[in-house]
Amino acid sequence: MFINYEHENHVYNVSVERRKNQYFVTYDNTEYKVEADEIKPGYLKIKLGDRVIKCVITKGDKDKFVFVEGDVFKVRNIELTGAKKTKKKEKGALNSPISGKVVSIKVKDGDKVKKGDVLMIIEAMKMEYLIRAPYNGKVKKVNFKENGQIEIGQNTVEITKNKED
Amino acid sequence: MFKKVLIANRGEIAVRIIKACQEMDIKTVAVYSEVDENAPHVQLADETVNLGDPTPIESYLNIPKIIKVAQDVGADAIHPGYGFLAENPDFAKSCNDKKMKFIGPSPKVISLMGDKIAAKKIMEKAGVPVIPGYHGVKQDNSSMVKEGRKIGFPLLVKAAAGGGGKGMRIVHSEDMLKDSIESAKRESKSAFGNDTVFLEKYIDKPRHIEFQILADEHGNIVHLFERECSIQRRHQKIIEETPSPVMTPELREKMGKAAIKAAEAVGYSNAGTVEFMVDGNLDFYFMEMNTRLQVEHPITEMTTGVDLAKWQLRIASGMKLTLKQKELIQRGHAIECRIYAENPSNGFLPSIGTLTKVESPTGPNVRNDTGIYAGMKITPYYDPMLAKLVVSSENREDCINKMIWALSRYVVLGVTTNISFLKKVLSHDEFKKGNITTHFIDNHFKDWMNAKEGLPVEALIALAVYDSMHSKTQEIVRYKESDPHSPWKHVGRWRMGVDS
Repeated sequence: MFINYEHENHVYNVSVERRKNQYFVTYDNTEYKVEADEIKPGYLKIKLGDRVIKCVITKGDKDKFVFVEGDVFKVRNIELTGAKKTKKKEKGALNSPISGKVVSIKVKDGDKVKKGDVLMIIEAMKMEYLIRAPYNGKVKKVNFKENGQIEIGQNTVEITKNKED
Repeated sequence: MFKKVLIANRGEIAVRIIKACQEMDIKTVAVYSEVDENAPHVQLADETVNLGDPTPIESYLNIPKIIKVAQDVGADAIHPGYGFLAENPDFAKSCNDKKMKFIGPSPKVISLMGDKIAAKKIMEKAGVPVIPGYHGVKQDNSSMVKEGRKIGFPLLVKAAAGGGGKGMRIVHSEDMLKDSIESAKRESKSAFGNDTVFLEKYIDKPRHIEFQILADEHGNIVHLFERECSIQRRHQKIIEETPSPVMTPELREKMGKAAIKAAEAVGYSNAGTVEFMVDGNLDFYFMEMNTRLQVEHPITEMTTGVDLAKWQLRIASGMKLTLKQKELIQRGHAIECRIYAENPSNGFLPSIGTLTKVESPTGPNVRNDTGIYAGMKITPYYDPMLAKLVVSSENREDCINKMIWALSRYVVLGVTTNISFLKKVLSHDEFKKGNITTHFIDNHFKDWMNAKEGLPVEALIALAVYDSMHSKTQEIVRYKESDPHSPWKHVGRWRMGVDS
């Protein structure tokens, strides 16, 4: 079977074939022949040549977490069908980095802002996070009110970028 | 001794205190908010009371509610842990007023030390060295800016009621001062309900070294040596160790005496910590006194053999300190790592989610103080600290190696943690040499990215094996040779999209 894993915006193409507890994993022109057993749910013992790799894998809602030799990687299985799917990621720091409460809004619709200006202050886990303007521009819309709840990834303030920049 | 103690806290510290009570045959009462219903501290306690709404102000910070619960269950003492109400003099007073002993110093001392400005004045008078700064009552912007100019830059803006780095700002130039003061005031107001701030000279090559104090209610005071807590991010400690790599017997003697002097000056009782800033010349300055059990108290316990939580209970019940300064010794070396649900590759922002797997390392001289379990939700309501991993060994080098070993076997899946980052810090040459300051993370790990080199092939093999094992498709019979021209064999790793 062919599988695509996404990790930190990179995609890894892997193929794997299985025969009993033997697996043939191919990645980047190299084939790895391993023996593997699931000792208890999620805990794998993998023999690769004279090495034994112990790892733990769990599935979250969308992501998988892989624990290998003390490091943890958050990975997602993705389907690549037809036209390449590219996630349209909002550029700049205008999305909330954290779920929390909007404690202060420094701008209103129509305001001109300079790069680095503080637009909004979000508080979570007793700490403040400043949302700053990523470029010079004009505030198109403020999406939240003071004391409102904001979730991670939500767009805080929409800014129309100045043309000359 | 007390018959029944209510623990007004959650997480690992509540668990720690409950266990100390159990050993001493004291009944325990846990309080919890709705989201903590299944938390370990709730499971461990003899009695439990639901405080309702998870917002701290409605639960763990709600003084009337907690006092009422404590009276209803017939508790004769209340342990506040750290954080939440631990340094709230009104809470301590309410407990004592209702004839329930607050396990900590008197409300008067808490209030005195909680006011960082008053605390410094007292220390200065008592002959304990303090950092130059402005601790005045004129809190308006123009007065503050004027005073800031006098002290010079860089300087620190600190919340008078603060702690744990909240309400603190470093200011490098005058034009940033006003904004920083306002922002620190807001954060302080929200975290502590008080927006008084002060200004302070910024010390070059600063180390954070603190001394543990135990004082009984009969005037006996001892110190239990230092803890080096310089490794911090966002002004919050993440790695602590004892002894400090720069400590000499002479300096320890001097600082220990100053710490005891500080405690005496305010008539301190119970466990406390005197925090000092130590500069490049090993001159030290009093910063503040924490009137509670510290997060990092286990490293002192590991090297002295003294159980600080139990002594808190004994002292509060009126017992005399039987520990003598001369008899206290420090053996070997201990390190604590704070395991946080946070992302070091993204400004140490807290991460939330459900813990899918948790497995902690065990072994000789490995201690794991935790309040987490698989299936637990990490919510934005509370501090994102998941656990404290503590190890001790004969010497520092051995201790570092043991900690790296233990971290490598700590499985916490479901949220992003700082475990890989902690390992990298411990493996850093300058850390190994003991060349650390409170700027260590900023200086050496500014733009650190986890897994910069991408996924290791071991992880890919593990994933592929796992997916193949759990795939519903039938076991594939492998023919002699699979298609050598399959494009999948040649692509490898590539990058998605343009943006990152």
